[in-house]
Amino acid sequence: MSLSKRDFCATSLVAATLLALAPSAMAQKKAAAPLEDIVFGGSIPLTGVFAFAGIGIDAGIKDYLTILNESGGVAGRKVKYVAEDTGYKVDQSMAAFKKITSQNKVSLYYADSTGFVKAVNPELERVGSVLMTGASFAKEISNAQKYPLQFMMGPDYSEMVSILLQYIAKTKPGAKVALVYSDTEFGKDPVEAARADTKKLGLNLVTEIVTPPGSVDVSAEVVKLRRAAPDYTIFHGYVSAPIPEFINQARGQGLQTQFMGTFWSMDKTTVMRMGPNADGFLGVMPYRYYDDTDGKAPMLDKIRKMRPEYQSTAYMQGFLAAMLLTEAAKRTLAQGNELNGKNLKTALSSIRNFDTGGLIGVPLSIKGNSIPIGRIYKADFKAQKMVPASDWISLQQ
Amino acid sequence: MRIGSAKQSYAADAALFDSATQWRWVALLGASLVVFPFVASQYWLYMACLVAINIASATGLNILTGYTGLVSLGQAAFMGLGAYTVGVLQLRYGTPFLLNLLAGGFVAMLAGIVVGLPSLRVKGLYLAIATIAAGVIAHFLFSHFTALTGGTAGLTVPPASLFGIQLDTDFRLYWVIVPIAGLMLLGAANLFRTRIGRAFIAIRDRDISAEVLGIPLLPYKLLSFAISSFYAGVAGGLFAYFFRAITPESFPLLMSIFFLAAVIVGGMGTILGSVLGAVFMTLVPEVLKIVVGWLPLGGNATLILSPVRTIVFGLMIVLFLIFEPHGLAEVWRRIRRLFHLWPFRT
Repeated sequence: MSLSKRDFCATSLVAATLLALAPSAMAQKKAAAPLEDIVFGGSIPLTGVFAFAGIGIDAGIKDYLTILNESGGVAGRKVKYVAEDTGYKVDQSMAAFKKITSQNKVSLYYADSTGFVKAVNPELERVGSVLMTGASFAKEISNAQKYPLQFMMGPDYSEMVSILLQYIAKTKPGAKVALVYSDTEFGKDPVEAARADTKKLGLNLVTEIVTPPGSVDVSAEVVKLRRAAPDYTIFHGYVSAPIPEFINQARGQGLQTQFMGTFWSMDKTTVMRMGPNADGFLGVMPYRYYDDTDGKAPMLDKIRKMRPEYQSTAYMQGFLAAMLLTEAAKRTLAQGNELNGKNLKTALSSIRNFDTGGLIGVPLSIKGNSIPIGRIYKADFKAQKMVPASDWISLQQ
Repeated sequence: MRIGSAKQSYAADAALFDSATQWRWVALLGASLVVFPFVASQYWLYMACLVAINIASATGLNILTGYTGLVSLGQAAFMGLGAYTVGVLQLRYGTPFLLNLLAGGFVAMLAGIVVGLPSLRVKGLYLAIATIAAGVIAHFLFSHFTALTGGTAGLTVPPASLFGIQLDTDFRLYWVIVPIAGLMLLGAANLFRTRIGRAFIAIRDRDISAEVLGIPLLPYKLLSFAISSFYAGVAGGLFAYFFRAITPESFPLLMSIFFLAAVIVGGMGTILGSVLGAVFMTLVPEVLKIVVGWLPLGGNATLILSPVRTIVFGLMIVLFLIFEPHGLAEVWRRIRRLFHLWPFRT
């Protein structure tokens, strides 16, 4: 087919006109377009070793966003949740982050592990448009200078142990304390701080026992613990094993120490699976348990209505993550600011005396990268419940 | 139909690519790799870099396991050594990027030689256990040599810099990682055109016969370990620059199994197998995620199908092993043969 000079000129003119009109047509379309969704991304471990928590976190985020969107969203904008399974592997978490952020304009993000949080931090600062929270309570992440666009939904591990030690100091001043932790980054995280805190609180740290993660045979460690005869034994760096074995063997040998745990070993189902010897097991929890009816908690009532069956503490964490990050978005937009990491973090840090609807039993004020508030709960094996053993303990000045 | 490929010299017989068509395909691949970063999204750029790092490491393992017949489950530990060397040099001394990578490879190589020492006495599963032990020792060093490695918290590595350009984005890293992986592949392919490479193959096929033929076993086995762990060390160094955060838990035993699976699925004893295996093992889980995303299943599809996806991935590996024990490289060869001989059947 050949094109005459006339046809060529006419075609060129039409093409030029279309090109000239296209931007204004697009602008009109843009003006008429509905408000853009706010995107809440997530690298969520729905499979792998951390799936027990990931499934709860996923459900918690989804439920809060459903409640929020049904009540009008954030400044009239819906919040869209885009999550990918990571199998709890750093490279896959990173792949999910890259995928979600390259396909969506993401403002809020949930990260699944300390490893991923560390790896993604430079990228997060470079991109500058995302505020991140996640499953990690590592002390390092609570350093707001080093991790300016991150936030954790509770006390860091050192603060958790500190809350336990404050409880011990109040209940039994000068008590003998033992620290049992796994030989992992997770396990060793609060050790330095715990040593300092026991000294500061006048407690006696009688022994430290390090075990391989998930170890099965702990008989030598139990003997060591029996020799030290502590009043309180704090486990950290485990989800379950070897805690049940430790407790069973210790009780078998007549050791009358009070066992304690931190967040990831404190879900009700995890504690109850430890068996009758775990009756009275104490631990720190930053949120109310699903079946905690002590005190007013309208948001918890709403959750119970939405999901009549027990929801894990990981669910509560996901729920609170969605609540606080979207609150930051709400405050950012209310001030007429752009939704970017820095503005979102500033807005989040402006939260004072915030009511979480009872998820946390005291009004929340945010300073720094963590929420150093928690409560001691006790396992009631007979009632198959975790019951409050203390009031809410805050480390905030 | 291609009826033959006449070779008139030994050099032509040993050439990596024996026809003009192959060269054209290589040129096309090269051009695609150059164009790729300009058209790909952040996600695909990230995946390309990750695949390239995995190809480098899998190639190293294939030299040892596929070509020399020495099973190793210590690849992750050697990568860790490379990564930590690079991390420490970059953090403490700010030495040049390429020098750090070479140092990473060199440190891993030394460790590889030590770990390879038992290989004269033990083979197969026994050697695999010995290399696992190396992994355990490396993990212990990473988490307890705190002054150098940062202990369990690990190291945060500053971005590499090349000619004054900070390699802090996937786009920039791509231009370093992919060519280095390409060079490593080329090096490995050429290795098997030399006496050394052929000695490795002879050892794999029958070590006693190889010795009878005049191949001293210990030096060659150690050399294979050295080259393999050098590859792992450089790949680990690239890993450190890519992820910028390394902890002892970044290099688990599962990672070594991943590379061994990549070599087996790809095809032991072929360079193409290392490439295809690493691509398969890295990309198939992601492709399965994309496929699941296309299914019109609504809200909870990700939650429900995530475990199914993992099962499908596992099943694919098992089926490959059953129906094509020679790996993806053999599938590739059969497809090529089909085109060469068409319209006749193989």
